[in-house]
Amino acid sequence: MISLEQLDPIFQQVFDDDALHVTPSTTADDVDGWDSLSHVNLILALETAFKVHFSQKELLSFKNVGDLYHSINAKLEARP
Amino acid sequence: MSSSIKREQFNIGHLCTRQQCEAGRGSKVAMRWLSAAMEQTDLTFTDLEQQSNRVANLLVEVGAKAGDIVFTFLPKMPEQFFILLGILKIQAVAGPLFANFGEEGLLDRLGDSQAKILFTRRSFLKKIERIRDRLPALRTIILIDSEADLADDLLSYRCLAERASTEYQVEPTAAETPSLLHYTSGSTGKPKGVLHVHRSALTQRMTAEKILQLGSNDVFWCTADQGWVTGTSYGIIGPWSLGVTQIHFGGGYDATSWFSILESQAVTVWYTAPTALRMLMREDPATLQRTDLSNLKHIFSVGEPLNPEVIQWSRRVLGKEIYDTWFQTETGAIMISNRPGVVVKPGSMGIPVVGVEPAILREDGSAADEMEQGALCLKAGWPSMFVTYLNHDDSYQQKFKDGFYYTGDTAYRDKDGYYWFMGRSDDVINTAGHLVSPFEVESAALEIEEVAESGAIGVPDELLFEKVVLFVALHKTYTASLDLELKIRLYIAHRVSSVATPQQIFFIDSIPKNKSGKIMRRILKARYLGLDAGDTSTLEA
Repeated sequence: MISLEQLDPIFQQVFDDDALHVTPSTTADDVDGWDSLSHVNLILALETAFKVHFSQKELLSFKNVGDLYHSINAKLEARP
Repeated sequence: MSSSIKREQFNIGHLCTRQQCEAGRGSKVAMRWLSAAMEQTDLTFTDLEQQSNRVANLLVEVGAKAGDIVFTFLPKMPEQFFILLGILKIQAVAGPLFANFGEEGLLDRLGDSQAKILFTRRSFLKKIERIRDRLPALRTIILIDSEADLADDLLSYRCLAERASTEYQVEPTAAETPSLLHYTSGSTGKPKGVLHVHRSALTQRMTAEKILQLGSNDVFWCTADQGWVTGTSYGIIGPWSLGVTQIHFGGGYDATSWFSILESQAVTVWYTAPTALRMLMREDPATLQRTDLSNLKHIFSVGEPLNPEVIQWSRRVLGKEIYDTWFQTETGAIMISNRPGVVVKPGSMGIPVVGVEPAILREDGSAADEMEQGALCLKAGWPSMFVTYLNHDDSYQQKFKDGFYYTGDTAYRDKDGYYWFMGRSDDVINTAGHLVSPFEVESAALEIEEVAESGAIGVPDELLFEKVVLFVALHKTYTASLDLELKIRLYIAHRVSSVATPQQIFFIDSIPKNKSGKIMRRILKARYLGLDAGDTSTLEA
């Protein structure tokens, strides 16, 4: 399990904003610079940090940071 | 429809606001603003007139004058429109910046232009602060979301606007007065500032009326960001100089939101980009077909060539024709296009706009035959033609030869007079409608400690038209890794822009160069595509 706070440094790195803190309800509209291209960078950063992989279908289903966070934890818990 | 230029007053700010009020449209909705959360705010032409007058007055208060260059670095928001119109009203030059530019992208543009005033918001300030010491001409920053002035040169928009009058008399503005400055990327060197003048409104208005077929009862939605020429030519000038109601949306691409807007706002004419349309093609057709698009008369696209599959998809799924249009930052307005009433040949650019004289020229400058590929050129002199590349008039002059402007695109003309885009004659990458300079990407990559050499190319992409691919050779003490790939991607996104982020990175031993050290992007492209690299006799040993 990871905590939500563990996502902050990754979001800060991807969006170049040291003051950025995310909540489960944070969406792309709440973060400066979160467009479709930087979204690819975010996913790559999350995959690299937590050694997980998201399918295309999963990526399309994420509506906010909470969805992303729960998906990461589900993948980590499913590990043998 | 409003009449066009009156009393030789060419001022775009005036044409889009005061002139509309004088024509009896003061209470008509000029902009229906939809926030990302879909909160709706209606602004009439009177609101637009008064708010832009406030901006004109506050600019005067901070010492701005005609000819000064004033930039905005803002996400899409109502104030951005007031500010751009206000800048134009005082005959200063308005430079709207794309909100996702990185600090190098900002430095190139603010530095080259010697911008004096910048409107931005607090969360964007950190990027500016990192480069501020290299922007000696930038004397004032005005913060949209600050309740109070933060320093003598960090002022609050709200405070300034509150005490600014809503009355402003726009001085008579000659057609040749500089108006807008949009930077565009080339294959070499830094981005260049394309300078337009107020006369461009003639063509922008004419094409909005004749090509986009906007009339007084239309509800128009142009999805382009104001940082790009489409966002000013057709997100501001064309429709508002005709008195047309526009939708502007503060959120990003989202199929559900977009279709909800088309339906709920009864949009009648929609101007968007092929990449967005291709993204919509990935959605469940049944979902899209549940949307009532009965009010939507026309869909237009711009930015990249529109592939025939998209047109066929739209006919099948949406029951609508999509009309592709072609223009450049330099042309200021649509030059060649498909349009209602003219048979669409899927995949073609369409036919010339009235008054525009394209030509397909061979390398020796002679006219190509029908169906023969050559340089796409335009006879110089169309009303929205740019007047120079700011501080680079030599580059501007090089774009013209024997009375023709060389667009940098290659194309051919068929027997029916339709033009067909074939490619670029340079290495500029068109990704999702944004032009990206390989030089900028390579330069940013070289700033990374591990990178010894870099070469960037554009390759075909199903969604983006072209995607940025970067080849990297590392210093011998470093090895490739996923972490390093991420570092490179993020560095380029932060330094240049998110649109310049390489979608693929390949680590190779060395970058092919010719004997004078020029990167052989042709060879990188052939390697990527698995094609024959052709003549390699000039390759560095």
